[in-house]
Amino acid sequence: MPTQPPASRVPDGITRLSLTGISKRFGGVKAIRHADLHVMPGEVHALVGENGAGKSTLIKILAGAEYADTGVINIEGKEVTIKSASDAIALGVATVYQEAELFGQLTVAENIFLGREVRRGIRIDWAAQNGQVVKLLERLDLPASYATRKVETLSAAVQQQVSIAKALAEDARILILDEPSAILTDLEIRTLFAAVRRLTDEGVSIIYITHRLDELFEIADVVTVMRDGQTIGTYPVKGLDVRGIARMLVGDKYSESASNRAERAGGEPVLQLAGLGSRTDLHHVDLTVDAGEIVALYGLVGSGVAEIASTVYGMNPVTAGTITMDGKALSLRSSSQAHNHGIALLPANRKEQGLFSFQSVGFNIAVGNLPLLRKARIWMDAKRESSVASDMIKRLAIKTPGPKQAVQNLSGGNAQKVVLARQLVERPRLLLLTEPTHGVDIGAKDEIHRIIEELASEGTAVLVATSDLTEAMRIGDRLIVIRNGTTFTEFGPDASQADVLAAAAGQLSAEQERALALKDAS
Amino acid sequence: MTAPTPAPDRVTARASGRVLPSPVTGQELVLIGVIALLWVALTIFTPAFLSASSLQSLLVRLAPVGIMAIGMTCVIITAGIDISIAATLMVCAVVTAKLLTLSGMGAVPVILISMALGCFLGAINGLLISYGRVPAIIITFGTANIFQFIGLRIFNSQTVNGIPPTLGFLGPGQAGRVLGVPYAFMLMVVLVALAWVYLRHFPGGRHLYAIGDDEQAAELAGVNVRRHVLSAYALTGLLVGLAAQVTIAGGTTTLDQSVGRGQELATIAAVVIGGTSVMGGRGSVLGSVLGALLVQTVATGVTQLGWPTQLANLFVGVFIVVAVGADLIRERYARTSV
Repeated sequence: MPTQPPASRVPDGITRLSLTGISKRFGGVKAIRHADLHVMPGEVHALVGENGAGKSTLIKILAGAEYADTGVINIEGKEVTIKSASDAIALGVATVYQEAELFGQLTVAENIFLGREVRRGIRIDWAAQNGQVVKLLERLDLPASYATRKVETLSAAVQQQVSIAKALAEDARILILDEPSAILTDLEIRTLFAAVRRLTDEGVSIIYITHRLDELFEIADVVTVMRDGQTIGTYPVKGLDVRGIARMLVGDKYSESASNRAERAGGEPVLQLAGLGSRTDLHHVDLTVDAGEIVALYGLVGSGVAEIASTVYGMNPVTAGTITMDGKALSLRSSSQAHNHGIALLPANRKEQGLFSFQSVGFNIAVGNLPLLRKARIWMDAKRESSVASDMIKRLAIKTPGPKQAVQNLSGGNAQKVVLARQLVERPRLLLLTEPTHGVDIGAKDEIHRIIEELASEGTAVLVATSDLTEAMRIGDRLIVIRNGTTFTEFGPDASQADVLAAAAGQLSAEQERALALKDAS
Repeated sequence: MTAPTPAPDRVTARASGRVLPSPVTGQELVLIGVIALLWVALTIFTPAFLSASSLQSLLVRLAPVGIMAIGMTCVIITAGIDISIAATLMVCAVVTAKLLTLSGMGAVPVILISMALGCFLGAINGLLISYGRVPAIIITFGTANIFQFIGLRIFNSQTVNGIPPTLGFLGPGQAGRVLGVPYAFMLMVVLVALAWVYLRHFPGGRHLYAIGDDEQAAELAGVNVRRHVLSAYALTGLLVGLAAQVTIAGGTTTLDQSVGRGQELATIAAVVIGGTSVMGGRGSVLGSVLGALLVQTVATGVTQLGWPTQLANLFVGVFIVVAVGADLIRERYARTSV
């Protein structure tokens, strides 16, 4: 059992924002069962929860993108209804999303006043507009010259600050920052925190959503934890630690997390990465995947976990270290070379990287394996192609009338299975999967996991990169935590979710610290 | 095909797609219908239309555009375009004409040289597009001007006169046909048939569709995208080199600087009218040839009816707009029917 969390904070004084008894259902799924949130003036209120805990739905309700089924929203003690984004803005609630929603070709000032231009007569009053922007920029400690810079010339971090400035220009008193740090470097995060502190000093309330538990202790005053569509409680950050929050996030689930794979074929190492670095966010990755083994890689957004698979698949140039496959050094310059070495990749974004949307299910399964399905090694064997596609549809339980079906008509889970089927026509030596079940319903998720396990029992080495902790725990024979582009630490099948979460946030257990120290010493 | 599907499902399967696009698409059937109607109408209003000589000349004039349309179809299926083919045609034609008149070379070496030259120019386009990752329309717009410069330099401000009838077997004359059918037309038909089979039944052909549908997905599926794109442009150049032979054979004994003018637009028009999507991923050479035949029929018909020739442009323009519109509507329907 986790240690008892500290007593829940009772709201006192005048609350700026109160959400009470919020619930929201999408079709048959209850995204939020019961949520309470009380935000004080000038505080940084962190909102944490695993994927699917209901954070984003709650934020959407506040931002006017969704409307709650039940519950009451009070702002400054008055009950309000937020039915649209403009309602939210009028009430002083502004949201800054992870990817800045700005127009790159326009200047900072134009972006900030887009749709609400300051006018003199029928003309835009550039001087007045720029003057106001300069004041806003000063509030965020940004140089005044940025007012007339085109947004696309600014870094991601500055663009984010411009979004914050835009929110301030709309007189926001409640500012929602949706995972602002995920795409920022450590130095940029400092700048963000400085801006956040300046705003809270002015009395702006910040709702700060993050997966990086370690940063709560630097920036947040209080934290509200969500789990399974409910707010578990709100606690002052002082008196908590990363491990304590991690335990609240995962609840009792951590006890049933161990991989349930009965036996696995032990085998020789298939893939070995030694000190791998690439121009993307990878610095130093060491890992080995054996034949028949499933290794899960877990890391937060921006940790580099997503880049490992694509680098092994030859899509990013390797700048340091080596990739060894079956004992031989690999230097791949293209994905087709990786393909020829028996490496298969299930890309993260199936819509953009996996599916040929104009084509049939059969075409989508066969493409990439066409040379295998030839007659006399010359032209396509239509019968075999069709029977292979039908076999795959059966084996992966793809819900479609047959290989002739247009792939556009499939649901997300079935579309993902089609892309997976393509990798399995010829059993790969090494299968790389990134976010294999992202946006896939629960039933299809189980089936995809079963297929991956089956494949491993047949001897394929499997590397699964995921930001879904439950998935990583469940499917991996071993679990490797990636942090800052390096392999941070490794867990066996009996790890607890709280430990893994804490590790992803940079905190090791005493036992692991000792092991690491031993390794460094030797 | 092999897996038995329950009856209610079979209806949806037939309605919504195939492993391969069906051998003859709806647009191709429509084109065949329109062409048939035009032929009937033209036969009624201008009895000369259906005469052997009129048809033979129509088919010989169809051949170069049809041959180039094969390559252009492959290029457009990969979501590319090649607007330099008129200039390539000019270079190949003038080199051929000079070789024939100055060196008296035989037909076979001349044809091979012209095809190699076209292939080389096409490969330049392909290299710049696939490895330079610059949009095809920009690259081929640039090379079109460069190739045109080269062609005009070879012309050296003079028309080429006195071309011997070495290539007569590809022309509209008596030497150019057997049993009344022009060799040039037969050559085109054979090439179209080969390309049709290749695109549908060979891995390389399928890869072109995959690239045009989604280049990134194709790359990740293990398709060598750059090599295929390069081949599509090189093939186009090669076929332009061949089309240049038919163009020379179909002309008089002189060749002037206007050779090839407007051919890139005629070819792209044929491909687009034939139902190949300019956004890539869909299309067929059969459609392109039917498109070319429709354009040629309209041009011939307008001339034989004694109408002003600008009317042909008007009709072709309308066909293009209708064909592209139909493609966009199809796509919008497909996207919203999910």
